[in-house]
Amino acid sequence: MTGPDDSALRLRGVTVRFGPRTALQDVHLEVPRGQFVALAGPNGSGKTTLLRAALGFLVPDAGSVELFGSDVLGLTVAERARRVAWVPQEENPRDDAPLLDYVLYGRYAHLGWLQGESARDREAALDALAAVGLADRARDGILSVSGGEKQRAILARALVQEAPLVLLDEPTSHLDIAHQLDLLSRVRDLARERTVTVVAALHDLNLAARFADRIVILSRGRRVADGSPAEVLSEELLARVWGVVADLRRDPRTGAPYLLPHHLVAPATTGPTPFLGKGPVHVVGGGGSGAVYMRALSEAGYRVTAGALHLLDSDLETAENLGAPSAVEVPFAPIGEEVRGKLRILLEGATAIVVAPFPVGPSNLPNLEEVLRQLGRVPVLLVRRPEAESWDFTGGRARQVEEELRRGGAREVAGATEMLAALASAPVLVATQ
Amino acid sequence: MAAPGASSPASSKAHGRRTWVLGLLLGLLGLGVLISPLLGTVAISPETVLRILFHQASGGALFSDPCAGASVPASGCAGLIEIVWDARLSEVMLAVVVGAGLGISGGTLQGVFRNPLADPFLLGISSGGTLGAAVVVVFQIDVAQQNLLLPLFAFIGAIATSVVILAAARSRFGSVETLLLTGVALSSFLSSILSLLLLYNPTGSLQVDFWLLGNLGSLDWTQDGIAFGVVLVAGTLLATHGRELNLLQLGPDVAQSLGVDSRKIRVRLLLLASVTTAAAVAFTGIIGFVGLVSPHVVRRVAGSDYRLVLPGAALVGGGFLLAARDLSLVAFPGTLLPIGIFTSFAGAPFFAYLLYRRRQSSTMGGT
Repeated sequence: MTGPDDSALRLRGVTVRFGPRTALQDVHLEVPRGQFVALAGPNGSGKTTLLRAALGFLVPDAGSVELFGSDVLGLTVAERARRVAWVPQEENPRDDAPLLDYVLYGRYAHLGWLQGESARDREAALDALAAVGLADRARDGILSVSGGEKQRAILARALVQEAPLVLLDEPTSHLDIAHQLDLLSRVRDLARERTVTVVAALHDLNLAARFADRIVILSRGRRVADGSPAEVLSEELLARVWGVVADLRRDPRTGAPYLLPHHLVAPATTGPTPFLGKGPVHVVGGGGSGAVYMRALSEAGYRVTAGALHLLDSDLETAENLGAPSAVEVPFAPIGEEVRGKLRILLEGATAIVVAPFPVGPSNLPNLEEVLRQLGRVPVLLVRRPEAESWDFTGGRARQVEEELRRGGAREVAGATEMLAALASAPVLVATQ
Repeated sequence: MAAPGASSPASSKAHGRRTWVLGLLLGLLGLGVLISPLLGTVAISPETVLRILFHQASGGALFSDPCAGASVPASGCAGLIEIVWDARLSEVMLAVVVGAGLGISGGTLQGVFRNPLADPFLLGISSGGTLGAAVVVVFQIDVAQQNLLLPLFAFIGAIATSVVILAAARSRFGSVETLLLTGVALSSFLSSILSLLLLYNPTGSLQVDFWLLGNLGSLDWTQDGIAFGVVLVAGTLLATHGRELNLLQLGPDVAQSLGVDSRKIRVRLLLLASVTTAAAVAFTGIIGFVGLVSPHVVRRVAGSDYRLVLPGAALVGGGFLLAARDLSLVAFPGTLLPIGIFTSFAGAPFFAYLLYRRRQSSTMGGT
């Protein structure tokens, strides 16, 4: 047990309810100074709520939150800002401002009324920009930089706030894999150099395992696991909390555990978060061809399933971002029997199937073959392929299957809009268990 | 360590630009104040007007006979001095003060609501002020003191309405919709009371109409002084909140995480803006579009940093109203046209343009 002076953040029996929904249930948590804690859990498990309680944005229904030994609700807003900085999941500035000014916003809590930013403040802001690799971008407008640069500028702003505790809410969710790694290694290095305590809500368990000293798992508002990555991450935990079957491996270089997710424990019936929507509609894609259709479906209120996709395929990333259950195969391997069975379960649970214009080779030909089996049971929509593009790498077998699909009643659509229109007019869209 | 100036090129440059823009606007406004008294309903030569202005401003030290060479009316040189100094210049100064008040309030409301279409009358100032003015007119309260009582009642009516709207929407504060709907509901409620008042006292309706159209005439230095004092104090306080408004643009949560007490600051800013607007229009009546348009002009020219937008909008607003006064005198010489007609005439097309631009950009950036 650590003494009171050593703790940066302490939650004592915090319960938060939003109407009938309990977002946090009697959560106890103590984060000693200097630790990098990753907060993980499925969507809706209470990660963001926990961070918001720590920031004093909401008043718990029970329990209390302490920042460095003081009740957060007893501190003034400015005192809080000097103790804890926040990197939100998404920030959409309306107005343009040079990155330097944007970072200087972080000095607000240190400035008196009418007191302008001093040379020291500007130096701190430039240092922070340099620390996140944006030294030469100080004059660029926040609206003109990329998403990754914006997120780094926000991190720089949190740094000049000089708060000993930094909370990050899914800071990498809008970044590609390279920028995810970049941002998190910067956070870790800065935490070490400046001895800052970090609590980050992270979706990606592998990133959490790689960067954090400690992982806290939340599920349905409760703290269900807590410890070092090696202690916490287990196949059993993934199945229990996320409902995902995964292999646990160990990174040969870093020694950090990492997970290869395979498929859902019971896809059609008990998802980790019950989703009320139309569908599900299954999207067969790959190589990025399915992303636009999955997003369009999701935005139109359909539940989406996907696969079979290979790990590292950008379509899989999209599917994961949308929370779409997917059949997943390891990279470069042909779709095996196990994954094929999983794909079949998803296809059978779907109320419609969309075939994206994906390149077909021997390894993913089973996707088309499985769709063919479903013909006549549910509507099948084929997205028209560009004329000149070569896509069939199976020596004609794929063309043949597509032709069979077309002859069997699969409907051809020209794009996402036509797809949605076709789905809206499709006769049967009720899930059959 | 690099020198502070060298280490922060972007910020110091922005700061330089800020000073430069504000200085230019201030210079233009000063020029306008000097030129505007040349225009009026009575023909007086520009030379005489300028001589009178310098004579009066210097306490009589310069141009000991300012009317020399001018065609002097029956009332003598004192009559001309009265026209130029007491009537024209006080009108000019009022235009500047009222325009400045509306401009800075408009900028504040647009910032607080994060909505470029917000204007100073969003919080029921117009209906509340009109009702207050109507009460004085209809019930003939202390006719001798009406020059001060009418503005006082208008001011009280306007402030009371804003406060009621703020208080009523407080439970769900932060939702622009709640505030707007509360405002709409209360405004139509007050309008119905106004209609009822005027129905039984039709003689007052002309005066109330005049107030609703907004006008700068028939005022004196006392009224100028009161308006100037209130607008200066409340407006200056508003102008010191540019940094907070910048942070509020990032959303109330982000602002709060950076140390801005979003809730408190927003209420404070809205109250100050209401006081500024109410004081500005209490003497003149409702003058539309100045508060809406001025902040946008500044943004166009110098970006959206509220530390610049607020004082800039005050200067542009003052200039806008002054220009409207001058133009109405040029376009309709010899008549005292209600100034509100003119500002709306110029402002409405600009408003439509903004709406159009906004729709365009939102379809471009949207899904």
